[in-house]
Amino acid sequence: MGVTEQGLLERDKDTMTLNMGPQHPSTHGVFRVVLEMDGEIVRSAEPDIGFLHTGIEKTAENKRYVHCIPMTDRLDYLSPPQNNLAFCLTVERLLGLKELPARADYLRVIMCELGRIGSHLVWLGTHALDIGAMTVFLYAWREREMILDLNEMISGVRMMTSYIRVGGVAKDATPQWLDGVRKFIDHVPAKIDEYESLLTNNPIWLDRTRGIGTMTKEDALNWSMSGPVLRASGIDWDWRKKRPYSRYDEFKFDVPTQDHGDVYDRYLVRMEEMRQSREIIKQALDNLPDGPYKIEDNKVSLPPRDTLHTSMESLIHHFKLVSDGVKVPKGSAYVPTEGARGEVGFYIVSDGSNTPYRMKLRAPSFMAIPGMCKMMEGSFIADVVAIIGSIDIVMGEVDR
Amino acid sequence: MGLMDEAVDNVETEINNLKLNAKEALDQLGAEFSGAVYDSILTTKLGKVVGWAQKNALWPATFGLACCAIEMMAMANSRWDSARFGAEVFRASPRQADLMIVSGRVSQKMAPVLKRIYNQMPEPKWVIAMGACSSCGGIFNNYAIVQGVDRVVPVDVYVPGCPPGPEALLYGVIKLQEKILKEAGSEKARQRVA
Amino acid sequence: MTNEEIKEQLEATFGDAITHAEVSPHGECVIRVAVEQLSAVMEDLKQNKDFDYLSQITGVDYLEQDREPRFDVVYELFSLTKDRHIRVHVGLPEDEPTIPSVYHLWRGADFPERELFDMFGFNVTGHPNMKRLIMPEGWEGHPLLKDYPLTVEEIAFSHNPDHKSELIKTQEDVKADPWA
Repeated sequence: MGVTEQGLLERDKDTMTLNMGPQHPSTHGVFRVVLEMDGEIVRSAEPDIGFLHTGIEKTAENKRYVHCIPMTDRLDYLSPPQNNLAFCLTVERLLGLKELPARADYLRVIMCELGRIGSHLVWLGTHALDIGAMTVFLYAWREREMILDLNEMISGVRMMTSYIRVGGVAKDATPQWLDGVRKFIDHVPAKIDEYESLLTNNPIWLDRTRGIGTMTKEDALNWSMSGPVLRASGIDWDWRKKRPYSRYDEFKFDVPTQDHGDVYDRYLVRMEEMRQSREIIKQALDNLPDGPYKIEDNKVSLPPRDTLHTSMESLIHHFKLVSDGVKVPKGSAYVPTEGARGEVGFYIVSDGSNTPYRMKLRAPSFMAIPGMCKMMEGSFIADVVAIIGSIDIVMGEVDR
Repeated sequence: MGLMDEAVDNVETEINNLKLNAKEALDQLGAEFSGAVYDSILTTKLGKVVGWAQKNALWPATFGLACCAIEMMAMANSRWDSARFGAEVFRASPRQADLMIVSGRVSQKMAPVLKRIYNQMPEPKWVIAMGACSSCGGIFNNYAIVQGVDRVVPVDVYVPGCPPGPEALLYGVIKLQEKILKEAGSEKARQRVA
Repeated sequence: MTNEEIKEQLEATFGDAITHAEVSPHGECVIRVAVEQLSAVMEDLKQNKDFDYLSQITGVDYLEQDREPRFDVVYELFSLTKDRHIRVHVGLPEDEPTIPSVYHLWRGADFPERELFDMFGFNVTGHPNMKRLIMPEGWEGHPLLKDYPLTVEEIAFSHNPDHKSELIKTQEDVKADPWA
């Protein structure tokens, strides 16, 4: 920068550079975005990620498949069962498992939908908090505590359950847990109505979110948006409906879409998704089939413990599975699933051994960030916060 | 004339010596008084009062990195209310905070940022390493994660867990409060400020 | 158009460039393209076959399997308007891993291509902002290559105190930092 005759610094550009993050209350994790500001208006936004890079993909190349599952929990840490499910579905496709027992699929669906509601509650609480509505933050966590208690009841861990395993689920559902889930779904609709009553027709909320961060249909497709962001822009695509997995085609639920593609529409889509998730859980509970909770092929899932005392075969299978792990045939597969944020999937390349050769997470937040930064162009600085909240990024899966 | 010069030299040397001694004496006094609050006659008692005040108003800086941040938010919420222990507001600006809860895995790219935020906090300041990843690298022993945040900042309390439940983190905060009270009025507390 | 028809049309248009094509039993259409014809095939997929959604771009390093070419880049494409799927594999040689960008076709390729450079060292030509994405700017090496070490650290216990002193040495390096 040069100096003028009067001793003032010369401007080398017209815009002011404002650094937002990585430590910032509204960036939803360690996300950094460098904004070029022209007064209050953002001219360009350049994202800088990698502050939470954990090397999970490289670490997974040295770990057995069952050891990768707890690591997948920590990718999208707001809805861990979804990551587990995406991973297990891909491994099961590589293994060639045609179908799992119905009870296993239903339990997986219940856990994933509970995870989806939990994730949307965090989204709602933090998004509203960023925009200024602090009450919703406290209310959303109240319901989330119920979900975390259910997680703890069935798997022992509040958040990172690692409940969904290759071949089924880890443990059977107890009657107490099923009661707890039923209590939760009886309690929740009134609460979602409560959140809506606070926000949906609130003039401040409407002013802060309507018309902000709009993305057209074509742009949303081109910038690889998925999940609620895509549906809020008008594209009716939900992987649970279009490529059903885990018996989702046996459930009746709607997929909400909106037209404008702004922050308010994404809010409406996610609120409705919470209601639809509750519907799915209700149907799963009402029709929960009896039977085994994991596949009975002992080369893939552990044999029942009581048979270990009597059957030599069970003992050997147990030993091989615990010491060596499941051996997956050579090949590569990718199974897209519908996560809370969009399309979650693992591209796994297997070389025939008991560790993945390459495990790559397709993270919806990772693909959404460039599109999000495009949305920020031309908006006010206060809208940047609203936009980041509406895309609902979680840095664990962005940086992996 | 020679005698006068000698006398002048002697007087000058004496004055210089006196100046040097005075400077040393003043330095010593200064060192003692930099932790002024701790050095009055009622050192221990007053120090304890100050320690009690500090521990009951620990304001954390928002330093949520990863999954542990969600449990930290849960600790701040209504079920495990941390406000009743004094951690009322999570200050976004490190300049207004005195406690940094490092919640989450610290990557190589984030470590300099962490150090910078720590430096921006005014003294006295404390650090809680929340979770396995910030205590020791956790389940990620690889090129990307700093194996323990105590390689970057000094840590007072380690809270294990992956993630630790809000009750565990709250216990960690309470233990930190006990630590502050125990150290209050002593040399250790003075070193935190000096 | 079913996946079978897409596969046949592509083979008809591009002939030799498509070295391998199949439709898996799960309905996944997988083709392998030579890197020289990649841009043409991608244009065709986007403009004529309505593949409007790029799901992801992955890189794979086949060093341990002694495969020629050493690297693979995998594009996962969907058509959300017409409900189609195709996976495109491109092999890249070890000495010259250069690949043309598809940013001009799908803006969603922005981050994945930067990640290819960052994690594997591929040279993606035609990308507007080719910089390191996930690793810090001055990082040397490309972590996801198979010959890059995982850098596992031995844990210091009381019975191997030598390791502890080595750990203390790393703290000195941190102290040399002027911001410390």
